[in-house]
Amino acid sequence: VSLHEFGLQLLNGVTFGAVLFIVSSGFTLIFGLMRIVNLAQGALYLIGGYIGLSVIRATGSFVLGVIVGATAIAAIGFVIERGLLRLVRGKPMSEILLTVGLSFIAADLALAQWGGDPVTVPAPEAISGSTSVFGITYPVFRLVVLGLAVVLAALLWWLQERTRVGAIVRAGVDDREMVAALGINVKAVFTLVFTVGALLAGLAGVVGGAFLSLYPGADSEILTYSLVVVVIGGLGSLQGAIVGSLLVGLIYDFGQSLVPSLAYFVLFAPMALILIFRPRGLFGREAA
Amino acid sequence: MSTSASTPETAAPRDEEGAGAPVHGAPPWLGRVKWLVLAGIVVLALAWPYLVSSFYVGMGTQALFYGLFALSINLLAGYGGMVTLGQAGLLGTAGYALAILTTSAGLPLGPAMVAALGVCAVVSAFFGLLAVRARGTYFVMITLAEGMIIWGIAVRWQSLTGGDNGITSVPRPAFALEYWQYYYFVLAVVAVCTLLIGLLVRSPFGLTLRGIREAEDRLPSLGYNVGLHKLVAFTVSGVFAGVAGLLLAMYNNFFGPSQVFFLASAEGLLMSILGGVGTMTGAFVGASVVVYVKQFVSSYVDRWMTLLGVVFVLVVVLAPDGLVGAWIRVVWSRVVRRVTGSGRASAPAVRNEGGKEAT
Repeated sequence: VSLHEFGLQLLNGVTFGAVLFIVSSGFTLIFGLMRIVNLAQGALYLIGGYIGLSVIRATGSFVLGVIVGATAIAAIGFVIERGLLRLVRGKPMSEILLTVGLSFIAADLALAQWGGDPVTVPAPEAISGSTSVFGITYPVFRLVVLGLAVVLAALLWWLQERTRVGAIVRAGVDDREMVAALGINVKAVFTLVFTVGALLAGLAGVVGGAFLSLYPGADSEILTYSLVVVVIGGLGSLQGAIVGSLLVGLIYDFGQSLVPSLAYFVLFAPMALILIFRPRGLFGREAA
Repeated sequence: MSTSASTPETAAPRDEEGAGAPVHGAPPWLGRVKWLVLAGIVVLALAWPYLVSSFYVGMGTQALFYGLFALSINLLAGYGGMVTLGQAGLLGTAGYALAILTTSAGLPLGPAMVAALGVCAVVSAFFGLLAVRARGTYFVMITLAEGMIIWGIAVRWQSLTGGDNGITSVPRPAFALEYWQYYYFVLAVVAVCTLLIGLLVRSPFGLTLRGIREAEDRLPSLGYNVGLHKLVAFTVSGVFAGVAGLLLAMYNNFFGPSQVFFLASAEGLLMSILGGVGTMTGAFVGASVVVYVKQFVSSYVDRWMTLLGVVFVLVVVLAPDGLVGAWIRVVWSRVVRRVTGSGRASAPAVRNEGGKEAT
């Protein structure tokens, strides 16, 4: 493997990791506060991507596609939280199973609406070219996605650590009852967090759909990657999501180019190692 | 929903065989009804190919091996409190192993079946080793990832698995080539496996498993090796899923990646909770419903997957104890109350499966 190819793989892995971060930050955010493993996160990603694609095809505006895709998924998330998850609050298994049922429905409706052929979201004209990074020709779009992920990570960190809402969320992670007893409307915070988590999935779907194509099954694949990310990083931890996404992105891309037939299996190795030595993940906290 | 939910003593009856939940104060003859119902089911199962067309015999065959698959999930989820979303990966390990061994490796069917189950046992044990360290939601996620690894291999390692095209011309036993012969073959295998699982959950091992489900933290202080029990349960359950995988591969004469996909695992879990987690009959009831929806309803409605999803959501929200559980709760306990003429017949609990290992 030449240095040039190595650099290219490195960039591919990091930018793939960027998309993974956007999905799994939503995943980990939802889990952190609500203790809900949202297995519909992959389905939300896929539907978000498809909606964005339809908007872009109709209007020609990528930005509009991102906004509509992300907002639509946020709205769906809002409805799921208010309409369904509330009914089974406090029963972790029912919550998980509910999201599994929803992912059945979402996958099937997506297939009915957008068909079974892989489609790619067209990247915006303005940044569709390539640029040179340390002598490597690389698509600008993927670098922009990387930038977006970095901005999002900073924003999420700021929200969580420096704002009142973030303080409530952090307090809620530690002790929900106490937060409720202090007169804070935990239910409203739950809805907010779930909606934001869904929004991140939709956003990831549109930007991810522009360089990983969208197809039936992409939902479960992205879900698996996010699961590996949070198992490695630790559920509910933002740093965990960052480190996990980078690791998974890099391992997957290098695995893909070195041993294509075992790319999935290669992902499994670090997960197994982490589970053996740190069952809660790198940044995970006490029992899940 | 029952108002007497979630007291420990009412949680127990759900573990018993379907209709026969021992309700205190019931006259002895009522217990015999359970055996009558069971005998009826056995007779119906034996006579099935003589009663219906080949289409329904095929559906019956599928309901049987998917029922075994659901039962293997039930063994983990219902009795051990370990809800798995990767079981199709283990079913697929055996199915693929059989397909590969009988086609490209050219092994005779008998030895290939034994070897395939061996492979499945090893993979199950390895997956179990990683998964049983975790609990509750973490366990679900890890098993899901494990199942998807198998799927990834099935799709990507094309030289071995045939990729998206799968592997065709998996043989059936020479004595079970006809559809009805194969039905009886499956019936026999599933009956033996169900009996074994029934013995297992009633054994001291099964009791310990239930103890783990109810109070995992307390058992070590009683001297139980919780990790080992969970690992054995995981492996045994994986092997039973593997048996279902063999039957599935021979039924279709084919094995492909969709059979190990996440949705296949979720479907198995749906069968298990639809019937009622922690009941033996529930697995077969759930499998029958799902197979019926897939085979029959799908010929009229395109969106049968959506229908399954809606069923999934409804069961989770409205009847977390499943159809058999709901039946015991609503109908059976009322019958018993009417018969005994007393209010002592307590409705078995609506207990959220696995709800104990919350956060």
